[in-house]
Amino acid sequence: MRDAAPFRGGWLAAGIGLLLLFPLSSPDAFFLDVFTTGFLLAAFAASWDVIGGVSGQVTLGHALPFGAAAYACALLTSLAGWPLPLAVAAAVLLAAAVGAGIGALSAPLAGPFVALLTLALGEIAHEAAVGNTFFSGPGGYAWGGEGGIPVTLPWRDAPPFSSYYAALAFLCLAAFSMLRFSRSGAGLILRAVEGSPITAQASGVPIARYKRLAFTVGSAFAGAAGAGFVLHVGRATATDLSLELSFQAATFAAVGGRGTIVGPVVAALVLHVLFQGLSLPPSARVILYALTLLVTLRFFPRGVVGTARDLASRLGKKNGDRPPRRRGRNRAGEGTP
Amino acid sequence: MSALLSAEGIVKSFGDPQVLSGISLSIAPAEPVGLFGPNGSGKTTLVNILSGLLLPDAGTVRFDGKEITRLSIDARYRLGIARTFQIPHPYPALSVREAVRVALTVNAGKRKEEGGTREDEEGPAEDLLARTGLFNQRFVPCAQLSQGCLRRLEFARGLACRPRLLVLDEIFSALSAADEGDLTALLRAANRDEGTAFLLVSHNPPLLKGLCRRILVLEEGRIVRERTV
Amino acid sequence: MASPLPQVLLDGLFAGGTYALMAAGMALILGVVKVINLSHGAFFTLGAYVAYALAGRGVDSPIAAAPLAAAIAFAFGVFLGKSFVNPARSHPFALPVGTLACALLFEQAAQLIWGPHPLSIEAGAPWIGPRGLVVRRWGVLAFLSSAALLGGLKWVLTARPGLSLRLIAEDEEIAGSLGMDVEAIRYLTFGGACAMAAAAGALLSPSGAVTPTMGRAPLLLSLVVVIVAGMDSVAAIFLLSIGLGIFGNACAWFLSPQWSYVTLLAAVCLLLAARPAGIVVPAGRLD
Repeated sequence: MRDAAPFRGGWLAAGIGLLLLFPLSSPDAFFLDVFTTGFLLAAFAASWDVIGGVSGQVTLGHALPFGAAAYACALLTSLAGWPLPLAVAAAVLLAAAVGAGIGALSAPLAGPFVALLTLALGEIAHEAAVGNTFFSGPGGYAWGGEGGIPVTLPWRDAPPFSSYYAALAFLCLAAFSMLRFSRSGAGLILRAVEGSPITAQASGVPIARYKRLAFTVGSAFAGAAGAGFVLHVGRATATDLSLELSFQAATFAAVGGRGTIVGPVVAALVLHVLFQGLSLPPSARVILYALTLLVTLRFFPRGVVGTARDLASRLGKKNGDRPPRRRGRNRAGEGTP
Repeated sequence: MSALLSAEGIVKSFGDPQVLSGISLSIAPAEPVGLFGPNGSGKTTLVNILSGLLLPDAGTVRFDGKEITRLSIDARYRLGIARTFQIPHPYPALSVREAVRVALTVNAGKRKEEGGTREDEEGPAEDLLARTGLFNQRFVPCAQLSQGCLRRLEFARGLACRPRLLVLDEIFSALSAADEGDLTALLRAANRDEGTAFLLVSHNPPLLKGLCRRILVLEEGRIVRERTV
Repeated sequence: MASPLPQVLLDGLFAGGTYALMAAGMALILGVVKVINLSHGAFFTLGAYVAYALAGRGVDSPIAAAPLAAAIAFAFGVFLGKSFVNPARSHPFALPVGTLACALLFEQAAQLIWGPHPLSIEAGAPWIGPRGLVVRRWGVLAFLSSAALLGGLKWVLTARPGLSLRLIAEDEEIAGSLGMDVEAIRYLTFGGACAMAAAAGALLSPSGAVTPTMGRAPLLLSLVVVIVAGMDSVAAIFLLSIGLGIFGNACAWFLSPQWSYVTLLAAVCLLLAARPAGIVVPAGRLD
């Protein structure tokens, strides 16, 4: 009962409190960095969920808006010399436009063909990023290709905990906005498109337009995460556009529970911190992600949050069939803001 | 009185056999019309063409004097032609009330023009659910509904746009007597109180005679008879 | 050498003829299991690595490697089909993402075992034809074995044993009601199709570098073939694969190897944009 599950605000608040406290325990700079990246990846996973979970448009090219924004940020600041805020705004707009384009192309497609198209588009962008070099003006040496493009930042060597707090604040803001969006009137219609496109259409929903909307919104947030990522790492590289990154987003969403926004965020944080914190080589990490995903898909197709809600509602039934809604007017998934 | 919906010379074939060969019909405003025919006579194909799920090979469909032959099913719904499915495809994870609210939200703009505000969105949803007898199940996920409740939900979804024409594909087949009674009463009330015309597809002659003023008989892709009750 | 064109055409013909084996496997999966198998390219890569490992142990003929690669791939394919694809068919989301997970899993495992660097297989001296044309022996053998296997597949599909496959592709309910074990036929088909991809990979392994991601381009080539040629005609699959093989080889030769991958990706995008209805009704959809 996705819409009927109460919002576990208390636990989330406790988690955020712990994350706020963490840098004060003077941890290793490595772990601060792992968490900072984790926050950005969690926002990225949530943005996948807007498209692939809430709206059911399974995209395997979600790295495209992420990487497009990262590259735009790097190119605009270091080659064009734009001020950083302007470059970030332009990067997010570009990502939204990219999303609108992908949405327009994939709107008439059904099921696995959306995955196929987005995969192909993402791979084209990745190949273009690997193959192209940009010249850095009179200096004459080439940027791009495998080495990537550096971003020019207005600050030098920001202390690690300031990036940590900035990324955490961004994650909270982004996840909250996406949660609100998924529970708005538009979100309700997107969930209807996910559930049964034909019935949605017969209820007057112009489904192509709503699919484009989902891709635009999700890609804009992915672009914001990509811009944040490039600011943190200092360089846009071809891995920002890789199939592995798109796949990671889908994994986080599937493991956490598609369509719940919070589930993918938590899954991204836990899995990323776990696998990255163990200092595994990248290959082993991808293998672990793939195995986690396969096990989840096979045995818990609704993800952790979905399975937990199923269990909770089943237990609730046994304990005297309580009404699913106990929370007055502030019900999850129903109220129009 | 000019026709609400009129179709002229509708032809449709899937591959070799012609399913519909030149159908013409018209429905007046607030007119209850039945469509009767044996299995394979092309009823569902005709309904799909009238509701915008299929394009005809030839022929035109007009609604309110405007040609709508190539208009999609969602655009027709927003114009006021609602269609129900013989086999409902519910949104599995949405609650019954949310399913109704999808249809209401899409038409919120239209109601706003008529002077409503966003606040009264809850009102129409509860009202529709009460009329279709689904009020007590309003928080149940659609995936858990019985066949009868799914048909009621189809009805609620159809009525949500305050349609001028309801196209009902076998909505009464294989229902319990109680469900059938409730839904026929609801259909009569919509026709009488709100002036909703309907095209009711069924192969149950007594039911059609009880509800419709005019019955079209479809056989092998042609309207072979027209009977006034 | 006077002009590279005849050489490009000949090598493309050999490669394309062998890709047809893989594409036919993709078509079988799509027709019978009704799934888009994104891990098909990984089985191609698996075949190439099997051939590489055997070459290192003195068995340097791809022809000898192909049966072993096919057997390994069949085993893995049956496992994947039985334990993942069949149960996950009811969740449309799980299939593209899950098969992609398998592909990435294999790519990274290959990278851990054999390293990310391109490996090459020495496959004996070629014959030198007229006007400096190099006729690669493995190429001829790969083309002929692929053609023979496809001929066999065509015969199987028209003969009695293929009847059940065609019936399941047409109507699963009727096939089930006739007492066929639809589930078993599905995962056996899946395994067999994976074996075809691995055999193609082994046969083509001397043609270029063996790398963990080498299967991605043939995967896309198979997808393009299946989208355009459909699943009915083995001959159409064969001819189209040859055409695409020649085209890809020309791209690689005259532009750069990267271009043949990008053009295939672009072809997939264009085909899907032009034919949004796709090719089949995939599993797990209403109506």
